[in-house]
Amino acid sequence: MGENGIQKWVFYIPVIFFVLFFAAPIVLTIVFSFFERTQFWMEPGFTLFAYENFFTSARAENYVFSMLHSAAAVVVSFIIGFPIAVFVRRRVAKAAQHRVILLFILPFMISELVRVFAMRPVLGRNGVVNNFLIDIGIINEPITVILFSPLGVVIGDVMSFLPFMIFAGFLAMEAVQNYVFEVCDDLGAGPVSLFGDIIVPLAAPGIFAGSVFIFVNSMGVALVPTLLGGPGAVNAGLIANQAIVALDFPLAMAISTIMILTLVLLLYIGHRLFDLTKVLEPIS
Amino acid sequence: MNQSEWTRRAFMYTAAGAGAAATLGRIPGASAAEGDALRVWANPGVHKVGAKDWSAMASQAGIEIAATAKSARADESIQKMVVGDGNKLFDAITDNGGGMEDAMASQKAIVPIDTSRIPNWKNILPVYNEGGLAAHTIRFEGKVYSTPMISNADSMAYDFKALGFHPDSWGVMFDSQFKGRVALQNDFGPTLTNMGIYLKESGKIDIENPSNMKPKEVQAVCEFLIDWKKKGQFRTFWDGFQNGVGILASGEVLMSSCWEPIQIVANRKAGDAADIRYGTMKEGHQTWNNMIMLTKGGLERGMDAQYYNLANVYLSPWFGSRTLAGLGFAPQMTGVDAYLKANAKDFPEGTEARVLDILTRKNARFAVKGNAWQNVFPTHIRDYQDWWARLQAA
Repeated sequence: MGENGIQKWVFYIPVIFFVLFFAAPIVLTIVFSFFERTQFWMEPGFTLFAYENFFTSARAENYVFSMLHSAAAVVVSFIIGFPIAVFVRRRVAKAAQHRVILLFILPFMISELVRVFAMRPVLGRNGVVNNFLIDIGIINEPITVILFSPLGVVIGDVMSFLPFMIFAGFLAMEAVQNYVFEVCDDLGAGPVSLFGDIIVPLAAPGIFAGSVFIFVNSMGVALVPTLLGGPGAVNAGLIANQAIVALDFPLAMAISTIMILTLVLLLYIGHRLFDLTKVLEPIS
Repeated sequence: MNQSEWTRRAFMYTAAGAGAAATLGRIPGASAAEGDALRVWANPGVHKVGAKDWSAMASQAGIEIAATAKSARADESIQKMVVGDGNKLFDAITDNGGGMEDAMASQKAIVPIDTSRIPNWKNILPVYNEGGLAAHTIRFEGKVYSTPMISNADSMAYDFKALGFHPDSWGVMFDSQFKGRVALQNDFGPTLTNMGIYLKESGKIDIENPSNMKPKEVQAVCEFLIDWKKKGQFRTFWDGFQNGVGILASGEVLMSSCWEPIQIVANRKAGDAADIRYGTMKEGHQTWNNMIMLTKGGLERGMDAQYYNLANVYLSPWFGSRTLAGLGFAPQMTGVDAYLKANAKDFPEGTEARVLDILTRKNARFAVKGNAWQNVFPTHIRDYQDWWARLQAA
């Protein structure tokens, strides 16, 4: 094989990788979702039973709850994370900006299981937060709504996935040129209008990208509701997981297909609103 | 294996076997020299004793063991053994009795065993030969397919220090004074079975068989739990060993339906802050066992002698006393108390009294009339799943 031949095959490696490890599993997931369930596995066929089961059982309701919790995690992450990204971009010396942002990677060096589990002694009935608030006299009884509750799940999701918003926001802010801020200053724009009318619209594609990462992880990572959620708390990933445990593979595939469709719909809406091709454009 | 390795191994097994033979009743003709290591797919946390690795088990059995860790998930076992390459990879597997042996045997993933090749089979608990549900957990179509290794009657752990009394009924979980301080296991199998037992035996709901409930019965049990969930009675449904330990040891809940090892570890972890105990519920408990099975592939590869050697260890008081002393699981053979007395020096001081106390309480739980055996695959499993999802959504 000549040099050109090798180069040609090297070019196709990403395509082969994409087909084998991305496209094919998705296609198989969708196909399997229409298969017939057998006692221990599934067999080829075409039935909508798994989808019917999903929409007529409480799983659809659980799925919607999962979307609402995930959306709440996105909003809180934006409120906390994006100002951090703006602050680093605007106030930290240029040479130190990337190092500061890299600090937010550090939590990812620790197992997610450990990170989420570590929230328990912080948020628990006899945890750090409650003990502190009782010690300083703000409360008399422990606050129980911050753990084993929907709020506990949102807190866990934010703590787990906040860096996605900071990274994406920071990268988006790199696309906002300094002269924009100078012009705003010259025109006397206050910090609120600067943030709401100028920064957010310009960084919107990046914010959306970060939001998608957080939303998808909050929907799919089962650890958070398992460890921090209330009685029977689930997210979409956990619903699919429980179907697998019960050997209902077509149902698990149907739930996964619905998750894929949700993501595609989300990306479509995002693209229509923010033109997501801008996220991938080189920074000028 | 070269000659020098064979010689070294043979020496080690001979030396180890000398001690083991006295207590186990070694199987004639079975030794490591008959083949390579027995490839066992097992839960390392609960299916071995004596050392952090499998060396003590191998030494006692006089074989070499190559163990691969597995979880207790039914789907994992089924996928590997029925659909996947489990029979190529493993000679023996461990799993839940009361359903898994039927599933594996019906799919020809495992083979019947010859109990005459297990000398310690003569010591097996009588319930396994009395034709009841316990006997059924190791059989398929009348043939024995597995060797039981541990069992238990799952109950409720509670903080005696906080409660000030010893609950003897699941009903205490539904006392409004403990609102928000109660936890259940996040698994529809054991939770619905235990709640089915409670509701049946207390006369609240008419249930024929809590191990295998009909759709209407599943619905009634779940609606009862949904009602209490909406009232805020439950703090959480725990999932995973450490999670179960954490909620009890931290004082997050005062009572929780759980496995006995969770109570033992939680009590140790809580120290003086709590006194976590394991109750006997008058209505009954879900009883279960774990067992070891010989795979079809294992038999075809001629690993049956090694399997029988290991099965013999699982039915020895050497194993039974140690699993009881460690995680509090019930031994599957008679003679553990005598073994403990005779070998007290092998255990930390006070072990005999502590372990015999656990055994006495365990036997009291096993004796409750309303007990129901675990059923891994109930007939109406889809109803269990669907109603569990409704409970989660409530």
